[in-house]
Amino acid sequence: MKITSSLITGFRRTLKAGNSILIAWFCILILVLVFAYPLRSSLRSAFGPSMITEKFAEGINIEAFTDLGPAFKSLMSFLTAGFLFTFFAGFFLNAFLTAGLFGSVKKNDMKFSSREFFSSGAGNFFGFLLISLIMSLIADAVFLLVVGLPAGIASGSETISDKTIFVMLVITGAVYILILPALFLVVDYARAYKTAREDASLFGSIGKGFSFTFSEFRKSYGMMLLLVLSQVALGIVVILILPGWKPVSGGGVFFLFIVSQLMFILRLFLKTWRYASVTAMMNEITSEKVTVNKIYDVIPT
Amino acid sequence: MKIRLVLIIVLSNVFLSLHPQIVNKKALSERITGYKIDVRLNPDKKTVTGDMEAFWVNKSPDTVPDIRLHLYMNAFRSNRTTMYREMGGSPGNDEKDLGWIEINSFSDENGTDLIPCMQYISPDDGNKDDRTVLRVLLPRPALPGDTVNIRVNFETKLPSGIRRTGFSGDFYFVAQWFPKFGVYEPAGMRFASQGGWNCHQFHATSEFYSNHSVYDVSITLPSNHVTGSGGMLISEKTNGDMKTVTYRAEDIVDFAWTAWPGYAVFTDKWKGINITLLIPKDRIRQTGRQLTSVKYALEYLDINVGQYPWPHLTFVDPPSFGAGAGGMEYTTLFTSASSYFVPPFLHMPEMVTVHEFGHAYFMGMLASNEFEEPWLDEGVNSYWEQRIMDNYYGKNSGLINHRLLKLSDISSARVSYVTSPSRQAVSNNEYSWNYPHGTYSMISYQKTATWLHTLEGIITTETMNNVFREYYRRWAFKHPSGRDFINVVNDVVRKEHGQKFGPDMNWFFDQTLYGTGICDYQVSRIINSKYSKPEGKADTSDSEIRAWSNTDSLYTSKAQLERIGDVKLPVTVLIHFDNGDEILELWDGKSRYKDFEYKGYRQIEWVKIDPEYLIKMDVNFVNNSMTTEPDRASLHRIANKLVAFMQFFLSIMLL
Repeated sequence: MKITSSLITGFRRTLKAGNSILIAWFCILILVLVFAYPLRSSLRSAFGPSMITEKFAEGINIEAFTDLGPAFKSLMSFLTAGFLFTFFAGFFLNAFLTAGLFGSVKKNDMKFSSREFFSSGAGNFFGFLLISLIMSLIADAVFLLVVGLPAGIASGSETISDKTIFVMLVITGAVYILILPALFLVVDYARAYKTAREDASLFGSIGKGFSFTFSEFRKSYGMMLLLVLSQVALGIVVILILPGWKPVSGGGVFFLFIVSQLMFILRLFLKTWRYASVTAMMNEITSEKVTVNKIYDVIPT
Repeated sequence: MKIRLVLIIVLSNVFLSLHPQIVNKKALSERITGYKIDVRLNPDKKTVTGDMEAFWVNKSPDTVPDIRLHLYMNAFRSNRTTMYREMGGSPGNDEKDLGWIEINSFSDENGTDLIPCMQYISPDDGNKDDRTVLRVLLPRPALPGDTVNIRVNFETKLPSGIRRTGFSGDFYFVAQWFPKFGVYEPAGMRFASQGGWNCHQFHATSEFYSNHSVYDVSITLPSNHVTGSGGMLISEKTNGDMKTVTYRAEDIVDFAWTAWPGYAVFTDKWKGINITLLIPKDRIRQTGRQLTSVKYALEYLDINVGQYPWPHLTFVDPPSFGAGAGGMEYTTLFTSASSYFVPPFLHMPEMVTVHEFGHAYFMGMLASNEFEEPWLDEGVNSYWEQRIMDNYYGKNSGLINHRLLKLSDISSARVSYVTSPSRQAVSNNEYSWNYPHGTYSMISYQKTATWLHTLEGIITTETMNNVFREYYRRWAFKHPSGRDFINVVNDVVRKEHGQKFGPDMNWFFDQTLYGTGICDYQVSRIINSKYSKPEGKADTSDSEIRAWSNTDSLYTSKAQLERIGDVKLPVTVLIHFDNGDEILELWDGKSRYKDFEYKGYRQIEWVKIDPEYLIKMDVNFVNNSMTTEPDRASLHRIANKLVAFMQFFLSIMLL
């Protein structure tokens, strides 16, 4: 069992699941547009025929927004409520889409079928939802324990210097970042297991997630680290390109939209690659165990 | 009368010889008060104990029966003091948390015990639990020209959990710690209709109004403590575990000092001025930023207002556990606020440094009354801070300069004023503790700065600079009032602009400083209608019809403007036509509405009121302009980026 073989297998499966990725992209786009489109109309309505929008040529202009007065408050309420709604709706949608994506990459010989995607999504929806919920809570608890608690204790001290607090935050933050791939492994293994065995119980799957993660920890962690790094690399590219890009013409703005969506599709591709690679690794771990068991079966005692 | 005059001169000379010039060659101020203090810091008890000799010269024509002194450390005595009643909270129940000052002995130059003549008074609110003002009835009233000398032995307990002053561990920031004279105002000075002491209690929002004084201060404290003060270090003598530092300060309104073993000391120089920075040892990476910003402030105020006259300047960046001492001003000593890590794009530490340094001018040299006219102190200083920040750190990025977000310091102040729901609750003309609904900061700092920027927009930057140069020339090391400032504005504007703005600028101050109205101008409509030929029984002459030969492309274009707010200010209006023509109109802004109408082979494309955004008082810049062809690209760009941000956010946050 090698990291590269899992990654290559995962990559092949991800390529075959291209249509599933597009479905996921489309669903998320629709969800976000439900929030963003009315917001865009509100912005247009709030600024009306004013030329203050010229000030946006250099980016967000706080003064221009705050001058909207009550309209600004409405916009902020809309933004906050819309953001929360999208996040919570996204949580549910994510469970469905992730289940569909795992279903699309569970085998090597999978051929795209939207029916398979949706049936996997529907079949494992609740399982995935609860796994995500539990693992998110675990991730939050780990964050509080590793980063929040030391920071809270330190900031309450009357004599500790801000350098010490800063260094401590950097170290605890780094520790948390190193823990994150392990948490990703647990949740991905749990979901891959649930996809492979639909009759598996929720906690049984999470237990398997931990079991798979730590049975071949170094290989699993190494693979996950590479996958996460690829996503981080994309993130850096996105941060370098998108926020500072300020087209002024309609055509330029449309091009920005296309590029941003292509980047997001690439992000989904990398995420699916993660799912597929973890699934492939799980398959390999399972098959090795089966082989070992078979060998033990034939050894005379 | 002559004898008295001679006596005054002789006494003054005798007195001045006791305080020879050390810091500056010539005295910068009238020496009305002076202090010689010798104290010892007890690091276990957190007390400062010692003796003080001080004088007050009665320069007024009045016979004064008493003296009044600030005992501001008593503000930390209980939660019933005026300061705590105003700001809420409590200094705590534990003796170690409290702050107070006790007078152990009080006598005059003849040794007469004045303790029986002492009385705590509360001139501002009658609060009997407040002991921050002490009245001492003199055995013999002070006649004009008399010098009242006092000798006081006092013990000051520093409060814990620093709020401006106090201690945290072995960090000390010692301000408002000794008995300090109030200001005796004879009739005619500022608002005084009759002579009397101006000696306010310690309030949550104000603490400064004093005479420029001479300070000779000796402090004995543990030798491992690094010290700094508003004075010049004269000597430092170590004796075992203790050391005695002696400072001399001249012509400053207050004396504060700090001591902490954790300070690193950095020095720099600007045009002969020795700059000393005390900064936590683990924060030295901020040194460059701090020193650069203070030199920017020195340079800008030197050029545009007046000279910084002292050869020394000390500023302190307190440690995080002493952050309550940050952002304070004691003329030649001030405190900034930073931390170990502040991103370079965020200029908050620089802003605090520039602001607090600026107080050396506004309240330090130009010693206005912070209690009664906080705008003249904090507001004017904020105005200059914002100009300095935006000048040196970027016109649009004085406060935040990140590629994703930029914010100028001027805009930040304006936003604070514009977005406040209480912006019309009260005018600037209030005592500091009378601002309702938490409006003190917004009105005193931000609204003042905003209308000063507006004034600059109207009378031009050069005239504004000349106003402050003249204000400095007339009032440095004196006690100006708001009226004095307005008089300077009127004189300078009249000199430079004649009658362009009327006989004086009072109309401006009546609306902005003394008024509560808002300023808001808007373009309500652009009308481009085809010129209609005269029909029917019109009296139009044939020549007029012939003059407009092609009426098909002839338009009557109209820009309709309105004044929504109550404040009336002159504004410029830029009108742009579809053939590229532009007309700059001037509107006095007085009427409720104004139409600009044009006839020709062109249509109005857009209209901008105040196209340079100079009238910062205008609470809504959005309605200042209108176009017939709105450009939506920037809004769509924002929406598209929001879509992408949400997508990535969901994808990252959801496992």
